[in-house]
Amino acid sequence: MSSLLHRLDRRAFLSIGGLGAAASLLQANGSPSRNSRVKSIIFLHQYGGPSHVDTFDMKPDMPEQIRGVYRPMRSTLVGTPICDRLPRMAKVMDKVCLIRSMRHEMKNHNSAGYYSLTGQAPPTDDQRLRDSRELYPAYGSVIDRFSAAPEGVASFVSYPHTLSDGSITPGQHASFLGPAHDPFFIGQDPNSSDFRLPELSLPANLNLQRLHDRREVQRLIDATAAVAESSPRARGIETYYRRALSLLSSPRFRQAFDLSREPTAARDRYGRTTYGQGCLLARRLVETGVKCVTVYFAATIGGRRSEGGWDTHGFDNNPMYPIMNDYLLPITDQTLPTLLEDLDHRGLLDTTLVVWAGEFGRSPRINNMAGRDHWPQCYTVLLAGAGVKRGFVFGSSDTRGAYPSTNPVRPEDLSATMFHLMGIDPHTLVRDPLDRPVSLSTGSVIQGILA
Amino acid sequence: MGRCLLIAALCFAMPAYASAGEPTYRNDVMAVLSRGGCNLGTCHGNLNGKGGLKLSLRGENSDFDHRALTRDAGARRVLVNDPDSSLILLKAAGKVPHEGGVRYSVASPEYAILRRWISRGAVNDGDQGPKLVGLKATPSDAILPASKGTTRVSAQAIFADGTKRDVSGLAVFESTNFKADVSRDGDVTVKEPSETTIVVRYLDQQTTARLAFIPDRPNFRWNEPSATHYIDQLVGERLRALTMQPSELCSDSEFIRRVHLDVLGVLPGPQETRNFLADGDANKRAKLIDAVLARPEYADWWALKWADVLRVEEKSLDAKGVKVFHGWIRKAMAENRPLNEFARDILAAQGSTYQVAPANFYRALREPNLRAEAAGQVFLGIRMQCAKCHNHPFDRWTQDDYHHLAAFFARIKYRIVENNRRDKLDSHEFVGDQVVHQDDVSEVKHPVTGDPLIPRVLGEKRAAAKEKDDRLKRLANWVADGNPFFAKAQANRVWAHMMGKGLVDPIDDFRLTNPPTNEALLDALARDFVEHRYDMKHMIRTIANSRAYQRSSRPNETNADDEDHASHALVRPLQAEALLDAIAQVAEVPNVFPDQPAGTRAVQIPSLPSLRRGAKAQESLRFLRTFGKPERLLTCECERQQDTTLNQTLTLISGEVMNRAISAEKNRVGRLLEGKTSPNAMLDELFLAGLSRLPTDSERQVLGGRFASADDKRIAAEDILWGILNSKEFLLRR
Repeated sequence: MSSLLHRLDRRAFLSIGGLGAAASLLQANGSPSRNSRVKSIIFLHQYGGPSHVDTFDMKPDMPEQIRGVYRPMRSTLVGTPICDRLPRMAKVMDKVCLIRSMRHEMKNHNSAGYYSLTGQAPPTDDQRLRDSRELYPAYGSVIDRFSAAPEGVASFVSYPHTLSDGSITPGQHASFLGPAHDPFFIGQDPNSSDFRLPELSLPANLNLQRLHDRREVQRLIDATAAVAESSPRARGIETYYRRALSLLSSPRFRQAFDLSREPTAARDRYGRTTYGQGCLLARRLVETGVKCVTVYFAATIGGRRSEGGWDTHGFDNNPMYPIMNDYLLPITDQTLPTLLEDLDHRGLLDTTLVVWAGEFGRSPRINNMAGRDHWPQCYTVLLAGAGVKRGFVFGSSDTRGAYPSTNPVRPEDLSATMFHLMGIDPHTLVRDPLDRPVSLSTGSVIQGILA
Repeated sequence: MGRCLLIAALCFAMPAYASAGEPTYRNDVMAVLSRGGCNLGTCHGNLNGKGGLKLSLRGENSDFDHRALTRDAGARRVLVNDPDSSLILLKAAGKVPHEGGVRYSVASPEYAILRRWISRGAVNDGDQGPKLVGLKATPSDAILPASKGTTRVSAQAIFADGTKRDVSGLAVFESTNFKADVSRDGDVTVKEPSETTIVVRYLDQQTTARLAFIPDRPNFRWNEPSATHYIDQLVGERLRALTMQPSELCSDSEFIRRVHLDVLGVLPGPQETRNFLADGDANKRAKLIDAVLARPEYADWWALKWADVLRVEEKSLDAKGVKVFHGWIRKAMAENRPLNEFARDILAAQGSTYQVAPANFYRALREPNLRAEAAGQVFLGIRMQCAKCHNHPFDRWTQDDYHHLAAFFARIKYRIVENNRRDKLDSHEFVGDQVVHQDDVSEVKHPVTGDPLIPRVLGEKRAAAKEKDDRLKRLANWVADGNPFFAKAQANRVWAHMMGKGLVDPIDDFRLTNPPTNEALLDALARDFVEHRYDMKHMIRTIANSRAYQRSSRPNETNADDEDHASHALVRPLQAEALLDAIAQVAEVPNVFPDQPAGTRAVQIPSLPSLRRGAKAQESLRFLRTFGKPERLLTCECERQQDTTLNQTLTLISGEVMNRAISAEKNRVGRLLEGKTSPNAMLDELFLAGLSRLPTDSERQVLGGRFASADDKRIAAEDILWGILNSKEFLLRR
């Protein structure tokens, strides 16, 4: 079949076909994974850019200006010591797959952040990259578009922050895939005692009975004009009413958000922090069938005190190590291993892929403000769970952690791998706003990490 | 099956080539590479090539491709002394592993062409022989019975010396939709009645064959009255040929609501509707159209549409610039300024962006390429973007055309009077006045040769401006008078806004391979527009007075699948601003917008205020974003999202805006209850306000009964109001 398809509505444009015979042939050969063992992805986004040398890619033989103050600690992944400030993490490293050779060229938080959220290189390394519908969709939106969850459950849920560094970081919504694939976003703190979903909560003056009464009036009027009989558009709207009312009236999805149903001990284990409770919520959402949960570690890049993200330059006399010691590493060491253990214990790690990644790593050399600067040239991404090898290290950095020395890969390769594992052909063509065919991912599946 | 085709191809195709003489590199080999898909963007035409071989995209550079084939890769790709061992043949025939699979079997005519060319020395004859100047598809436009379900499209090449050649065996045939399949040799098949456009490519020429496969309707009888309006005549001709009977005219209720929404973006009030329904004048629709066109909301509504594509947004223009530019656009609409003068003013604008309002167009577009792309999309209806890096794959524009057009804008500079941007690191933000002006030295350079480029308008080979000319003025004059694109693009824009879909769709994508659904009609509209000096109100009036515009949205059995031929009205959702205003209007609970005077409607706000970090957007603005109001970062109508989403539905069911409209004490139901209005009169007013019609008997009975038996009348009335505001009839324009 040879088809040009450039007039097609992009929503109708599926993975079949492409630009001409060669394209469809290529896709037939591209063998999209149909063994969707991976049912869900939990993406733990680490805004600010965690130091790889201080966490999962230690360089103990280097001078202190490079290796830093932490010592390596033996982990359950033989031959792979990690930072001694992550002792609980060290016990679960046998569940983990590290990529130590991730790299790209974007040195600013918004451009690199967008790259890390979409797997697509931004047009320029722009500190205030403007969010527009020309830019690529979030991973979860792609998953919602091509591998949606069944009705009654959202496919893509994200919380509790909107990332921004001066301006909103692009890559957090569906962009040109269309707003139907935007995340179900919750801008609330799951650690707060009155955490609830405003979208799924009825206002005080409206109970379910009254909503039902109103729906009857609506139906009566709809029956008169009978627009739906002839208009697909009207039928589409009616479908959304049904979905919305089922979400409002059915307990399953809403109950996932009710963290009070969780034993106190479990909540404590995850940590009584926004991030800790967010990761617990992620597990509960995956249990109800959500396909992609994105938990943003922080709304801002941080780096000045014990809040925000991983951007530990040492600016304004705020050296890196105290912030790492008191805040970043303790939270990470409490929450991440708890999540992995909990998922594993429930058998969910066999169907859920956890991805822990920031927008870049940090410079191997400690700067003169006792901090580390941005370092996209080489950094570490941590994966665990379905589809990837357990207890495995892929790629390596050079002696200083400055550049990949083996198996260099890029964010687009990670996106290709994630899509592939979700059963989506990463080279599926979609339409940008100008109706041009673009590939979901321009990278290649990282074969070396597949289980 | 495959074998039969192959034999057929050998029997019929080979002699045709033989008669054309020996295969040439330029006219045969290059065509074979395209026909195999080898030089597509997904294969070797990719920016980075594939598997080590890079060809020019779609064969736009035959010299480059010749080098790649004959010299690179250790010259193993073509072996003159042992043609069958040439890598391109081994790969194409699948004798060695090829990621792209088998492209040609050894027995195929294409293989024979490549082999013969190689064996004769693989020479580049690119500069010899007559040049290709045209390509003709036969049929180019045909209506065929769907029961047959198949036809063959052939391709004829026309060369500079006047010779013609059947190139069906060398051309590429592609279908533009899923409805039709086309074989490598141009055999088109459809499974069911449908329309399709087949694109035919040969070397650097493209053309189309528009095919309509129509159902058998032996009893079809055209029973429309004979047309008095040119639109109806031309629409009718097409419908009749397609054996489609248009729907009947819409009701007066539907009409008054539709014309208010389309021309003004507001609902008619209950009293206006009553008067109109009661008016016995046979000419009342025409009178209403005139009355509506004279209302001040007209300017707000059409200014909103223009502000969307002219990028009226705060970060680039700052709040004052937004106000100045939006105010200027609104004034132009209010004065019904001829649209070509409006375009001229914008494109020629220079000076302080606070004082010369249209100069804000350039303030938002900071480099020549963006300016050229914007001018193309907004004023000419052409998306030039594809031609930035390579020749346009689906149109005639070359990379040279793109950059020559950009050259008009090369000399724009900004004198920044002051910039008090809040975020020093944000190079997109400007707060303060700046002066748009031109220097006399800056040039656009050709991305390949690096040569400075002279300005040249689309479709011309000569330079368009003399050295001393003001380049912007020159371009503005060309856009405003004397180019073949503007009138059609703008007539199509008005048509699309009124009818719900352009004759060319999307409206900014006029392209060789995207022909209009009714070319005669588009030509007539454009002619009318020119003859009436680009009078927008004239165009709107003309369209609104046609039967085509006034049809019901209820389809009949012959036209249910049609969206392209105005056989029935298209149902579409109310645009974000109109919806928010309509809710406020029906509920009598005005919306409040930050920094806007009380009583401002959503349609009137100059732009969305940019969302500051950490700030929670005010509810009415959140509503507008939820329903797709664009941020205006693209020069494209496509930025406005019209998809339905779950979030929209939740917003309508129980969101803050809706909940306030329904439950505000002094809203419309509050006023009616307080005035002791009878239940019947109350229902009448709520229905007229929301749906521009009276309730039916059964609605009156059920809702009246519900109201009578309710303990709390207020609650019953609120629920009825909610039901109206959530009905499809309210949410959709039909």
